[in-house]
Amino acid sequence: MTRRADHSVEPLSNGMAANSPLYLAATIDLDRAVTWLGETNAQRPAPDRLVMAALFLRAVTHGLKDVPELNAAIVDEDGRSSSAVHLGVAVVRRDGALVVPVLPDAERRSVDDLMKVFRALVRRARTDRLREADLGEPTFTVTNLGNFGVQAIFPSIVPPLLGAVGFGKVVEQPSAVDGAVVCSPVVTVTLAADHTVGSHRGARFLTAIDRVLQRPEAL
Amino acid sequence: MTRQQVRDVVLHLLHEVVPEAPVRDVPPDADLCKSLLLDSLDFLNFVVAVHDTFHVDVPQADYAALTTLKGCVDYLTLAYERRTSRGL
Repeated sequence: MTRRADHSVEPLSNGMAANSPLYLAATIDLDRAVTWLGETNAQRPAPDRLVMAALFLRAVTHGLKDVPELNAAIVDEDGRSSSAVHLGVAVVRRDGALVVPVLPDAERRSVDDLMKVFRALVRRARTDRLREADLGEPTFTVTNLGNFGVQAIFPSIVPPLLGAVGFGKVVEQPSAVDGAVVCSPVVTVTLAADHTVGSHRGARFLTAIDRVLQRPEAL
Repeated sequence: MTRQQVRDVVLHLLHEVVPEAPVRDVPPDADLCKSLLLDSLDFLNFVVAVHDTFHVDVPQADYAALTTLKGCVDYLTLAYERRTSRGL
């Protein structure tokens, strides 16, 4: 399998290196997502429960559907291009090593299926039992370091990929709603995009993630 | 199942979830998530392992009872007794 990297590199007028990635961040309200997750898990036996990361993964697949320019196309031996989303999931092992196993065909999976595959994948990564199939080529990467207390992560793009997204720690944050101060859980989502993707498309990706997380019942 | 047996099984399950963590060195009243650096996914894997091994489904509302090793032993000893007394 080869990958098409047909993005042209143009010099930028502001003197920045033309290949500097764009970084865009959004703070997303998770009040509805947290409530939905609690209510959903309360009705499920342990093996069927979800964690917030599964909702994040599902939101990422929606974002990539809206902005396919962020997903690196894979071209097969016959030159056919695929729009499959293979998510590289950054997992920090206890020895500090970072591994990025791949969750294949993420765009076709339901949130329950994503959760199942993600749970097994992380478990294999943490116990040093990754299979060869887990180490395929990703088309986009997701880093979720929130569990380590990091509020925002600025992920690196691994060429020839065109983007990576990071989810920080879910924190309680006060905000003004109808003139009153309320506290709600929020997450900072940071997108690193190849400069050829364009900031408008990056913004659209983050908006799609927000939209999905505001309507978790639709997952 | 005696408390000691429950404790041994809990330690074994934690070790399965986080093989590199010093599971046997954790004091009984220490916060497991903080001591063993368990994230929400590790913790869920532990709860699933408890489900599969003890046949006890710990509802999310009871997660706080599993915060420490002592809490796990108290909770699971009782839950296991209740389960077996019902003849399950």
